[in-house]
Amino acid sequence: MTQLRPDMFEEAAVRLDGVSLRYDSSEEILSRIDLVLKPGSFSFLTGASGAGKSSLLKLLYLAQKPSRGEVALFGSATSRLSRDQLSALRRRVGVVFQEFRLLGHLTAYENVALPLRVMGRKESQYRRDVEELLTWVGLGERMHKRPETLSGGEQQRVAIARAVVTQPDLLIADEPTGNVDPDMAARLMRLFHELNKRLGTTVVIATHDLGLIRQIDAPVYRIANGMLVQESSNAAPTARRRTDPLKVMP
Amino acid sequence: MKQAESSLLPLEDAREAALFFVVGALCFLAALAALSAKSTYGAARAWTAEVEGEFTVSLSGADASAADTAARLLAGIDGVESARAFSDAEINALLEPNFGQSGLPEDLPVPRLIAVTAEAGVDDLGPRLSTALNAEGYTAAVDSHSEWAGDVRHMLSVSRMVALSIVALLSATAIAVIAFATHAALLARRDIVDVLHIAGARDRFIAGLFQRRFWLLGLRAGTVGALLALASVAVLIALGRSGAERTGLLPQLSLDFPDLAVLVITPVLAGLAARLAAGVTVRRALRSVM
Repeated sequence: MTQLRPDMFEEAAVRLDGVSLRYDSSEEILSRIDLVLKPGSFSFLTGASGAGKSSLLKLLYLAQKPSRGEVALFGSATSRLSRDQLSALRRRVGVVFQEFRLLGHLTAYENVALPLRVMGRKESQYRRDVEELLTWVGLGERMHKRPETLSGGEQQRVAIARAVVTQPDLLIADEPTGNVDPDMAARLMRLFHELNKRLGTTVVIATHDLGLIRQIDAPVYRIANGMLVQESSNAAPTARRRTDPLKVMP
Repeated sequence: MKQAESSLLPLEDAREAALFFVVGALCFLAALAALSAKSTYGAARAWTAEVEGEFTVSLSGADASAADTAARLLAGIDGVESARAFSDAEINALLEPNFGQSGLPEDLPVPRLIAVTAEAGVDDLGPRLSTALNAEGYTAAVDSHSEWAGDVRHMLSVSRMVALSIVALLSATAIAVIAFATHAALLARRDIVDVLHIAGARDRFIAGLFQRRFWLLGLRAGTVGALLALASVAVLIALGRSGAERTGLLPQLSLDFPDLAVLVITPVLAGLAARLAAGVTVRRALRSVM
């Protein structure tokens, strides 16, 4: 189980220093982004479709190298890490993908248990935790079904359960409530909030849902034209203030 | 009820079924080639061992009695294990293809033949036989079969090299096919690899999944190929025995312990080759991502 560690307050959970990203020879999707998220912070990331939210998230969950600049997680500059060290770092990150990315040949239970199997845990060690988590997200009766037999909302809950089952230090969620009803959305947000408050999990949620953003008083980062700017979570959309790329240290 | 953990890779698909067939066929051919190489090698040893140390002495202008005397003379030479003059019946049988069953004309000067067997390890007997016979006034020619044995050895050596080259070529082809199929499988399952990668799976963990999958595929395909080769050899042996009188010079296929070892090793090698190809291919593909 993840414990709060004293050094978590001494190093940034996420630090981007002058990060730019371009694919092949295309124009830069992200340009000179600086960002610091302290351990235990809760942040929203928003922006228009195609603005680069997913690309920024890919940098955060270490699926993509930046074209320029440095990405550091938990005090480790990723450009200097070996492949095994990068893998170890990824295990501290839980990701909820917008398109779920559940493995179709595995049941909901097996999908949720996947990160634990990757970590080398035995089923006898995690079976009860996984079953409890699936029950908590309302899938206790359907945990042995395959994703193709689950609704979009159910698949999304499986994806969220998979992301949080390891109680990660950093949780990254891309539109995590897009396919669930308002009640379940509220429950899931409570789950994210509890992980954040009780376990010190750093949470980054990418969303278009202003209602979701208003539920929690947390910094909101907007990405536009490849630049990242911070705006207040309570601000009305028309009153959002555009600033230059920020270096944020809450 | 507790269920076994599912494989993180889905069950085999049509691509792997096709690969199974290809690997099985390659293993079948490789096992047959290996068995042929071994049989050829065995035949070469048998033939050369048979003719080496055997001499045929031809006595011109000698009758049966003189031939027996010469044989006794030869038997007394150091290094000779045995010497035996051919009887008239044996000489007639040798010449029967040319003169028919009615026997030889009485006035035909036919040389008398003596079969001499040397003791093991004696390698200079031929000249000594000639010298001894000439010294006693015989007009004799000694054939050591060395030229024929040399030709046989050369021909079988070439045959062995061809068979071993075929085995090597088939093995290399199998590895290349498996590497290609692994790459295709990896591309087809990119989504799974991505999820595992992002979940923190190390390269060796992901490679291990593919290595196990392809090790088993190679092992099973190799077993089927080896069993088919075994069946084919059994059929060839049966056919060879039914026409034994006309296959004297052909390499005799057999199923002794070394042959069975070849059939057992074939699937293991196929599995190892598949595992190696899968491991290298997956690791190389993973190195292209962060």
